[in-house]
Order: sequence, then structure tokens, then C-alpha cells
Amino acid sequence: MSAPQSTAQPSHAARAIARMYPASLRGAHGDEIACFVDELRGDTRFASGIVGRARLLVHLAGDLFASRMPAPRRTRSPLGDPPRRERRLETFLQDARLALRAMARRPAFTCVAVITLMLGIGANTAIFSVVSAVLLRPLPFPHADRLAVLWATNSTNRQLLASIDDVNDWRARTRTFADIGMVRTQSVNLTGAGAPDRLVGSFVTANSLTLLGARAALGRLFTTAETEKGTGQTVAIVSYDAWRTRFGADRAILGRTLVLNGRPHVVIGVTDSAFADPFNAQVWLPITSAPNPNWFQRGNASVWAVGRVRDGVTMDRAQQDLSAVAAQLSREYPATNAGSGALVIPLRDWLVGTVRPTLVIVLAFVGVVLLIACANVANLQLARATGRRREMSLRAALGAGRSRLVRQLLTENLVLSVLGGAAGVLFARWAIGVLVNAVPGGLPTFGDVGIDGGVLLFSAALTVGAGLLFGIAPALHASRARLTDALTLRTGEAGHGRRLDPRQAFAALQLALCIVLLAGAALLDRSLGALREVNVGFDPHDVLTAEFRLPAAKYRSDTAITEFMQRAIGAIRAIPGVQSAALVNAVPLSGNFGLNAYLPEGAPATDPAQEPTAQVNGVTDQFFRTMRIPIIAGRDFDGRDRADAAPVVVVDQELARRAWPNQSAIGKQVTVRFTPVVTATVIGVVGSVKQLTVGEPASPQIYVPIAQQPGIFNSVVARTSRDPMLLAGALRSAIWSIDPDQPVWKARSLDSLVERDMAGPRFAVVLTAAFALLALTLAVVGVYGVMSFTVAQRTHEVGIRMALGARRSDVTRMVLVQGGRVVAVALAFGLVGALGAGRLIRNQLFGVSAADPVALVGVTLGLGLVALAACYLPARRAARVDPVIALRAE
Amino acid sequence: MLVLADGERHGYAIAREIDAVTKGAVRMGSGTLYGTLQRLVAAALVEPSHAAHRSGDDPRRRYYRLTARGRSTLKSEIDRLATVVSVARRRHVLDTPRPEAV
Repeated sequence: MSAPQSTAQPSHAARAIARMYPASLRGAHGDEIACFVDELRGDTRFASGIVGRARLLVHLAGDLFASRMPAPRRTRSPLGDPPRRERRLETFLQDARLALRAMARRPAFTCVAVITLMLGIGANTAIFSVVSAVLLRPLPFPHADRLAVLWATNSTNRQLLASIDDVNDWRARTRTFADIGMVRTQSVNLTGAGAPDRLVGSFVTANSLTLLGARAALGRLFTTAETEKGTGQTVAIVSYDAWRTRFGADRAILGRTLVLNGRPHVVIGVTDSAFADPFNAQVWLPITSAPNPNWFQRGNASVWAVGRVRDGVTMDRAQQDLSAVAAQLSREYPATNAGSGALVIPLRDWLVGTVRPTLVIVLAFVGVVLLIACANVANLQLARATGRRREMSLRAALGAGRSRLVRQLLTENLVLSVLGGAAGVLFARWAIGVLVNAVPGGLPTFGDVGIDGGVLLFSAALTVGAGLLFGIAPALHASRARLTDALTLRTGEAGHGRRLDPRQAFAALQLALCIVLLAGAALLDRSLGALREVNVGFDPHDVLTAEFRLPAAKYRSDTAITEFMQRAIGAIRAIPGVQSAALVNAVPLSGNFGLNAYLPEGAPATDPAQEPTAQVNGVTDQFFRTMRIPIIAGRDFDGRDRADAAPVVVVDQELARRAWPNQSAIGKQVTVRFTPVVTATVIGVVGSVKQLTVGEPASPQIYVPIAQQPGIFNSVVARTSRDPMLLAGALRSAIWSIDPDQPVWKARSLDSLVERDMAGPRFAVVLTAAFALLALTLAVVGVYGVMSFTVAQRTHEVGIRMALGARRSDVTRMVLVQGGRVVAVALAFGLVGALGAGRLIRNQLFGVSAADPVALVGVTLGLGLVALAACYLPARRAARVDPVIALRAE
Repeated sequence: MLVLADGERHGYAIAREIDAVTKGAVRMGSGTLYGTLQRLVAAALVEPSHAAHRSGDDPRRRYYRLTARGRSTLKSEIDRLATVVSVARRRHVLDTPRPEAV
């Protein structure tokens, strides 16, 4: 050591540092401490370079920390013991210090344990932050827990739009609702402001916006008069986002006239930026601006209702009330309402209903991953604990009580898990970003997904829970120390008895949990595979689709609409690269569909409400050819099927099978409940297609010629000879060549619609598989560690065996048998767990049984082999033991 | 106390001596050191020395030495430990038959 600095006055730094010590020390020794610090600074260990300075800082920090700790008391104070709580804290801090030191001495162990916990706690924190944002965080609407979406129902369908008259009656007659408003979203054409464009419109009553808590940032919202009868001036409100992105945040938008659906609307307001519309509208119009006057007929399903139940009323009570009113209406208006009811769905359920099961499954998955991580760390601790048994025995012999030892060990675990938890939260911050961007179609959240107070609290609870979970067994195990252990312990005691010792039990537990996860992921993957195998009923490759809606104000007559359609389809078919094209009301898997009741020839006439429903779709000729939907019998539509010709339909084989089993459907009559009702002749039978989702069961489908049921909303399907998206521009131009004001939107390939339908299940598979692989890695590392440790403990025994003539293969077999017992126990428990888990997720499975033998047996065998391989390496090492070396240690 | 057995020392010297004797296993910072000294002084086992400073010495330094009571306490503590060690030796508690990694 160098000569101490010899200065009469301490340096500023030394004085500053001395001031940080507790007052009791400073008072008596302040100068001495400053002098001491100065001498330290001159010390060779600390004086040189950055490393020396860093070392000094660490030294000083440690000393400062230590000097603030209560002094260890070796004797009882004559003034009596300090209060119990204070003493506990004192012990805890002392233990924490010991733990930090012990961890620093074993960096490899600490790193492995902290990384394991980081992955476990981090994955849970990330998934929980999503769960918290989607399922737990309050929705940004006033009294959000009392808001509900109300649907009409009939005997076959649970969620139908309701008629405006019905909703008005619901509002007037129910007692449990404070208010009920109407909403109907629909694309709206915006013209006269540059290129024709499409906005997501929402036709509403004034009270809907107030129910949802909308406020105007500019101008005002609708008055009741404006949305009930209309005040002569048609008005519109623009959303904050649309105002910024489409209208350049121009404050002069108030009073400006927008041509929406061909009719002028005066902008009276812009909503507040904080208003998050659950229906994602960009522009609101009064329901009186409905694009179709038949919306206002009773029996015409045209709107959703949004209701707020009165304070203190449960959703169940509201449901009973609404059902009673719906029953009254069906008695009063049998022609339109017979058999119809009403359904109350809480707003949150409506928003997150489809995501909830997936999230719950994924949360359960990461929960199990954390359990495996805990088991892993517990095993590391157990291995250490065995090594420390001597230390514990001596401490016990010197007077430490068992509870004191357990407390010390638990504190060590807690410190370890706090480090893991902190690293986990950092890991989660990164993972959340990746996760949120990867969710197909985005998450139904309002506001950001992130780590907030609730999530932190969750992580803290996890951390403490994990610390106790993986700590309690090793602590009890290690503290079961008796003095005799210290004197008699030999190292060959590690479990080769009949029962599994704690380490082996933990390894088995890890493997078993791992099987549960792998089986769950395998089931979901097989389910996705089954979904991919589904015949959607059409050939989605090389087909371009796009949507458009004619403004009713401009195309007032069916003739005008039909003429536009004919010219448009002619122009589209003329595009080079288009092999065939057709118009259709609702492209399969696009989210659009139409449902109507029907009555086939030969079936007894019943109450219209009891009639079966079919998906009804208007198409032009060449639709089946373009989609490659097979025509099984009869013919496609053609030029004969004009508006003034006899009504005809094409049905799918499912309808033909149900309506006329073992008979030809061609020439049969079917009555479709359009307004007005149409009775048509079946001219063809085609294959069934998946209209709403790939996983739906086959349902009756009816195709009508667009010429006989013209409508303003249509889509294009065009089969192309090259990448369909390359023709999207040409398709728009073709339609604009007929009407330059006609917006065209959602130009997409049919392939992308099929893919989109499977995106959710695929994402679930990717997530669960990722977590299952993480679990597999942890479990295999765990088993390998345990077997290695066991082998190391049995070295002495192996040496004796080999000295007595055992062959290497005998030794390998001995260790493998021991590992095999662990694996066998794990497989048995894992299989039972996997069967249970399969039952829990069976609602998410498609075309695969929850006890699918391929998934279960495959996973079990695969994991068994991997686990045995993890045992084999230590077994081989055991066989290489040199008896001389093994015995020399004795 | 052991370090003060062969004469009085100032704080920094005590720390250096402890470091040297334990081959770096125990490194006392000023807070730990003066905290300990404070308790030892309070128990009348150690006392500040009032001997004059050596020439050229830092005037802030204070020297500490064992009291008579400290010296006898130290001796009985060493005797007690010696007994423990000899018992442990006889019972082979300190033997480590464990082989290193295979």
C-alpha cells in the first residue's frame, strides 16, 4: 500500500462522503472517517485508473450500506430487546446482505437462476399487460360497465340487427334501461372533394353519441330532432382522426358541405380526440339519412341498439326485461316479429369476446412456464442446499434455530427472485412491443398496452410468489440439518432409494408441466392444420376482390342500378389479364353476408319465424366460374334471367340435401322472405362455400341473379392470369370509366381473405408453441442438471462398483434406469395433465379431439426421448469414472 | 481486538492490518470500522489513546488500544475458540471427504 495522503484538511470529496454516514458515527468519528476516505483514495488498489476508481466506489457504497445496517447484537441489551417487527427487519436486511454476497460468489448459478426467472416473470408480465389492457382496464365510456349492445334474435340466430321500430319500442317499454340508442355502421361515399373516397359511416340517433360519452371538439353533436325526424337540413359529424387525416385539421370544416352517398351534408361538429368510438366510425350521420328507406319498416333488420342499464340493475335483469318486451312485440306484430327475441351483450364482451379465450389460454400457458422456471430454480437451490448442508449443520450446532435458517434461506431466494423480477419487467417492456405488433388485426384495446401500476403490482406479486414457491422446499430441505449430519454425512446419499428425492420430483414436475404445454400447443397446431385442410368450396388463388356502394340518391331506380352493374362488369371483363369476372353482394370470408328465411317446396307452411334461414347472395353470371365453385346440377345464371323474367335461384348442395333429400332439386320452387316475398324456381345446384369463417359448418345457401334483386352494395370478383393485386388500379379505372364519382375500396386478393380468417388461430399457435418450446428448454436443462448432479454425488459408489468389476455399460444402464424412473413418472402425470388441459381448450379446437392421440402420444414420446437423451450424457460421464480417482477422495 | 493486541493503532492502520491478516477476506470500510470501535469503546474493551501524535502524522488521526478488560476478554475468547477447534478436530468435523467434480 502506498503512503497515506498526509493532509491536515480532508478533501471536499472525503468530507462529502463522510457526511453520508449515520449521525451517530459522524458525531464521534467524522474527521477520522474523512481522513480514512482520503487514505483509501491514495491506496494502490483504488488509486489507479477507472477500474481502481470503480472499485473504490463499490467499496464505499458497500460500506455506507453496511454502516446504516443495525449492528449485530451478540448479547441481549440491558434495556431489553427492540420491538419484534424491528428485529425482524434487522434480521431480514442482514440476511439480504448475506444473500447478495453469496450470489456474488457464485456468478454462474446466479446468472442461470436470474435468467430463468427473468424469462418466466417477463413472459407473464408481458401477457398480463395485454390481458390487463384488453380485459381488465375500464373502457373509456361513461358507466362503461352498464353499457350493452342489444341484438334481435330468432329461432336459429342469436345476433341479428333489429328493426328501428322495435328498438323504439324497446326504449319506450323497458324499465331497466336508462336509455337506448341506435347505431348502424356502413361505408359512405364521399364525393366532390378530390378523388371519390369511402368513409366508415355510422348512422345514429343523437342519444347513442351521448351514451358513448362523445364530446365535440369543434361545433356540436346532433340534436334529438335532427336524428328523429330530420330538420330539413342534413347534417354530419366528423371524427377527430378523419378530421386530421382526410380534412387536414381544417377548422373551417364547420359549415362546409360534404357530399355523402350523393347527398349534401353540412358538417356541424368534430368529435373530441379522446372519444374512442367502439364502432370505429369516421363520420356520423343521423339515422334519418339512412341510405335505404326500407330501414324504417318493422321487420327490416337494420340497426344495433346501444343501451345503458339503470344504476344497480344487473345485465341478467335487463335481459329478462328486454326479453319480456320482445315477447310482447312478437304477439302484437306476428307478421314481422313472430318468434323473435332480444339479446343483451355487455359492451366489453362484445368488444373482446373473440379474443378473451385465446388470451386466457396464453395466460395459462405462461403461468405454467413460470411454474417450470420456479421448479428449475428450486432444483438449482436444492443442489446448492445439499452442498451447504454442512454449513447449515454447523450453524444449527452453534445455536441457530431451524426457523432462523429457513428464514435466511428464504431471504436468499427472495433476493434472487427480486433480481429476476426486475430483469423480467425490462424483458417484458421489450416483449410487449413485439407482441402488440404481431397480433393480427390489432388488439381490441383503447389506449396503449404497457406496464402500468397494476401490471407492476402483478409482477411484484409474481416475484414474491415465485421466491416463496421455489424457495420453500430447498429451505426446508437444507435446514433439516442435525449436528449428526455434519459428522456423519457421506456424499453418496442422493436418491437411489425407491422414492424420488426432492430434486428428482422437481425434475419430474417440470417435465410433466412441459408435456401439458407441448400437448396444448400441439392440439392447437393440429387444429390449425385441420382448418387448413378444410375445403372452402372455392379456389381462392389469383382472384381479385373489391367493394363499392352506389349512392341511392344518384341511382334511384332498379333500372339505373342494373344498367350501371352491366356496364361495370363489361368494363372489368375487358381488362387485360382478367380471365373472368362477376359481381356479388357478399364475397365469401369478406365479413359481408345476407340471411333470409326460406321455405322449400313440399315443406309444410309454418309461422315465418320458424322457417329455416339461408345465406342469400346476389350474383351475376360467371360468378361460379370465377370462384371455381362446382356446378353439380343444372346451369349457371345467364342472359335469360332478366328482371322481367320468371324468378330463379341457384342453391347449394346443403340446401338441396336438407330440403329435398334423394330428389333432384332442379325445377323445385323455393320461397325466399325478401321484401316482398319471392317464390323462385331452382335452376342449378352448386357446391357449398364457407361464407363467414373457414371453420363454420355447411349451411344452406341461395344465390339469386343480381338483375332480379338489384342492390346498391356490391363487390367485384375477378380471376386473373397474374398476381391479382397488380390489377387493382385497372379495376378502379374500369369502374371510374362508368362513373368517375364512384369510390371503390377494399381491393384485396381472395387468398388474403382466407389467410385473414386463419390469422387468429395461427397467432395462438405461434404464441403457445413459443412458450412450450421455452418450457421444453427449461425442463430439459433442469433434468440434465439433476442427473448430472446425481451422478456427481454417486461418483464414490460408481468407483466402488467399477473397482469390484462393474462394466461401463452396467454403470450407464444404472444411471439411465434412474433417469428413466423420473421420466416415466413425469410422462404419466403429464399425460393426465394434458388430457385435462385439452378439455379446457376444446372450445378453441377445430376438427381435433381434445384427447387427440396423435398430439398426445407424439408429444409424450418426443419429450420422453429428449429427456432420456438429457439423462444419457451424465450416464456416459458416470461410466468414464476412474475408480482410482473416485476412491482416492475417501 | 486481535489487531490491537500488539500495540495501539489508528483507524486506517487497523483496517490495513485486518486486510493483511485475513489475506483480503475481510475488508473493513470506515463505517464498519468506526461502528465496531464505537461499540468496543462503549463496552470498555478498547479506548482511544491519548499518547502524543508522532511527528509528521495527520492530526486528525486518533489511536486506539486495548484496555485491561479488553485484553483479558480477548484471551478468554481465544481460549474458548481453541477448545472448539480442538473438539472439532478430534471429531473430524473439518475433514472434507467430498471428491471434486467427476
